[in-house]
Amino acid sequence: MNEIAERFAKHNIGSLFLYTHEAHPGEHYPHLTSMEQKFRHARDLRDVLKVSRPILVDALDGACHRTFGSMPNMTWIFNRAGMPIYKSDWTDSNSVANALDYFVDVAGRRKNEPLAPFNVERLDFRKQNSAAFFEGLERNGPKAVKEFEAAFGR
Amino acid sequence: MPDTLLERYNYDEFIPSKFKPWMRFTKSPTLGSQSPNFALWDLDEQETNLSAVIKSNLFTVVEFGSFT
Repeated sequence: MNEIAERFAKHNIGSLFLYTHEAHPGEHYPHLTSMEQKFRHARDLRDVLKVSRPILVDALDGACHRTFGSMPNMTWIFNRAGMPIYKSDWTDSNSVANALDYFVDVAGRRKNEPLAPFNVERLDFRKQNSAAFFEGLERNGPKAVKEFEAAFGR
Repeated sequence: MPDTLLERYNYDEFIPSKFKPWMRFTKSPTLGSQSPNFALWDLDEQETNLSAVIKSNLFTVVEFGSFT
């Protein structure tokens, strides 16, 4: 996602990471109880996961996250008028790049021809990397691993 | 079960009864609708808001997430 942000910046496309809550609280990164802790986790996330995009932090009650469906790792794209034009319940960089290519093309065509919006639904497919996922759980702590395995197995 | 919204949203353990109520993507805003605005903060703890951020570019990609 960092690479996509850099690639599309020349098209006046902004990218940010919105820190929400700990989906898998563990001994090292437990559930949030204060904004001070939330800022600390978000800064650690920037440093540990090497997030080069701007990071913003939601309110402690997740007001923004909850409104948009509160999925653990979703992506939305908004136009300048404040309307969502793409939403996915999981983040996949190929899906996001594909959507951005389309919207950049639309922005160019709109200069020369009238275009009307319409709705489309599509089932996209994301890469599964369970090794990296479990590495993330282990970073949070043994509790996070144990609880995930109890819920979904390994 | 925790009593307050803060406790329920910031659940302390990943068990279905605590995380499943938050999987509400099907209830999320429709595409093309005006998005509500929300206060957000940068890592210097300075307040901004979603609308201001969105207005600064032709399109804006927002990835929601945490460590995992």
